[in-house]
Amino acid sequence: MINQYSGVSPKGDLVLLQKLGEKLKKKSFLHVNSTRAGGGVAEILQRMVPMLVELGIKTRWEVIEGDDRFFDITKKIHNAIQGNPEKITKEMWDHHYEINKKNAERLDLEANAVLIHDPQPSPLVKFRKKGKWIWRCHIDVSNPVKEVCDYLMRYCSKYNAAVFSVARFTRAMGIDEFIIPPSIDPLSEKNRELSAEEIHETAARLKIPVDRPVILQVSRFDRFKDPVGVIEAYKIVKKYNDCVLVLAGSPATDDPEGEAVLNEVKEYAAGDPDIHILLLPPFSDKDINALQRISSVVLQKSLKEGFGLTVSEGMWKGKPVIGGAVGGIPLQIVHGITGFLVHSVEGAAFRIRQFLNNPDMAKRMGERGREYVRNNFLITRQTRDYLSVWYSMENKGKSVMEL
Amino acid sequence: MEAIKPFEFKQCVSILKSTGRKAESLRGMREIIAGVSDESIFHHTYQYFLKGHILEYTNDFAHWSGESLEERALAERLSGIDPYDFSTIGGLRNELLRVIDDYLGKFPEPREAMPGDEFYFNQTITLTFPAGIWVKNLAEFLIAVKYVDAGSIYYHFYEARVRLGGGVDDFSAWIQDVLLNEGLAAGIRSIDPFMHTVDGIREHIVELVEDEVKKSMEIIRQ
Repeated sequence: MINQYSGVSPKGDLVLLQKLGEKLKKKSFLHVNSTRAGGGVAEILQRMVPMLVELGIKTRWEVIEGDDRFFDITKKIHNAIQGNPEKITKEMWDHHYEINKKNAERLDLEANAVLIHDPQPSPLVKFRKKGKWIWRCHIDVSNPVKEVCDYLMRYCSKYNAAVFSVARFTRAMGIDEFIIPPSIDPLSEKNRELSAEEIHETAARLKIPVDRPVILQVSRFDRFKDPVGVIEAYKIVKKYNDCVLVLAGSPATDDPEGEAVLNEVKEYAAGDPDIHILLLPPFSDKDINALQRISSVVLQKSLKEGFGLTVSEGMWKGKPVIGGAVGGIPLQIVHGITGFLVHSVEGAAFRIRQFLNNPDMAKRMGERGREYVRNNFLITRQTRDYLSVWYSMENKGKSVMEL
Repeated sequence: MEAIKPFEFKQCVSILKSTGRKAESLRGMREIIAGVSDESIFHHTYQYFLKGHILEYTNDFAHWSGESLEERALAERLSGIDPYDFSTIGGLRNELLRVIDDYLGKFPEPREAMPGDEFYFNQTITLTFPAGIWVKNLAEFLIAVKYVDAGSIYYHFYEARVRLGGGVDDFSAWIQDVLLNEGLAAGIRSIDPFMHTVDGIREHIVELVEDEVKKSMEIIRQ
């Protein structure tokens, strides 16, 4: 499997994976999260776990089970950690703990390294047996509801280390904190190379004209993704350049605001046949891949963002990208080098026009963007980083290690 | 005939680790620079070029002062600090503090960074490992330099300066000591480490070595 990444991922990452695999061979590595399918964490684990097994590391992936009440509570905890006002009562925390306790009885938690993903299974640390326990936080914890965060930290501070996606999400927890950005899988359905037929089939089926430049934003219909702002920017561009706008997203069933935002967007777009609002079913990975490939410019004009991996997805396809300067987007877009960061509707419109009128510049930035993603945001780099953290914890105190 | 000592390409990878400290203003940054670990100062200065893209500055402190605090004059002065002038991190730390204190003396109330744009003090854990490539002559060296990852160029060109001291990099050291080609070694040493990205450094080295290889081919033909 790792061979498939040869010629795609940086050579050094593959060499280091092999080296770390030799060092950690026959040791056990356990991942625990709360869902087997759906969401970025499961998507990456599906590919990462077989890769680790191939390296000779005894890797398991366990999923905690819970009732509806448990997942309702963890959803609230998740929202509160991301800054939404939520109240978690003592009874709710107790239920959260009890469900984890039951899972601890059911699951084999014995391993040399245990990586617990996100807040849902975080209390499992209370039932640790041996090994290094690492809490992997994938969400934005820069501005949480304090009481909820403080309660959660009672568990998280019991780990040996924590891993965050962005430096801004770290907090003084009193344990080692590492920063490991998320990644995309270049061989997945969403990112693999597509044939011209596959791309045209998607464009024809979704009725997207390809005779003019396509501006694309892929995101949920969420105010933080600013879909209305994207349409406003497109309307400014349209005065100067003929183009098509595609807003593609999945219906957000767990987001009560989603429908209201979608209606607002439709209303705002009404009467313009060149604005295409696509509601794609979940797992439309190949269609999203094709849409990104037919686009002339990829936008992620978010006002608030966790990491925003759609930026890396667009860059991986060699597209010029424009993103809001929030969350993890500035880590992916080096302004003026791999794309443009914007702070307003007008800024987004101006940069779209620049790309449409300077195809050479757009191509150059797209090429740089692809190389930037190759070196920084592929799954092999993330796997390498997890193993490096584990290995460094086994050699605590050393800041330079020779393999 | 004595066997030529081959050049072994190595490379390094760094894992970011938080110090748990952040600065919201220039005064805050100054206080933390005074007390933060040597590893953190090292990361924000010597390892700046690991980022591998064209930037206006030469270290993270200058970058933040210029971009987030919009204190351009300070950013220029901090960018003028050459970390390789110092034999210890302590010396470099003192110079950073001297420049900031001098600036604060003239402009006592610089603005604060916007929320979310604070300076996060990090440090790294570095893993070095062989890239699996050995070369014995300039022609092989040329192919390898074109082929290796940027992390390898960084290790031999930037990291080596800290390891070897005296502005010396691994490439020029091998070319001088083993291949006995002083002219080429001096050419590589004259590449300004602050004016290029890692890939720019690679291009310059390739250019210099390519010229040298061509020259030696012409001599053979004559």
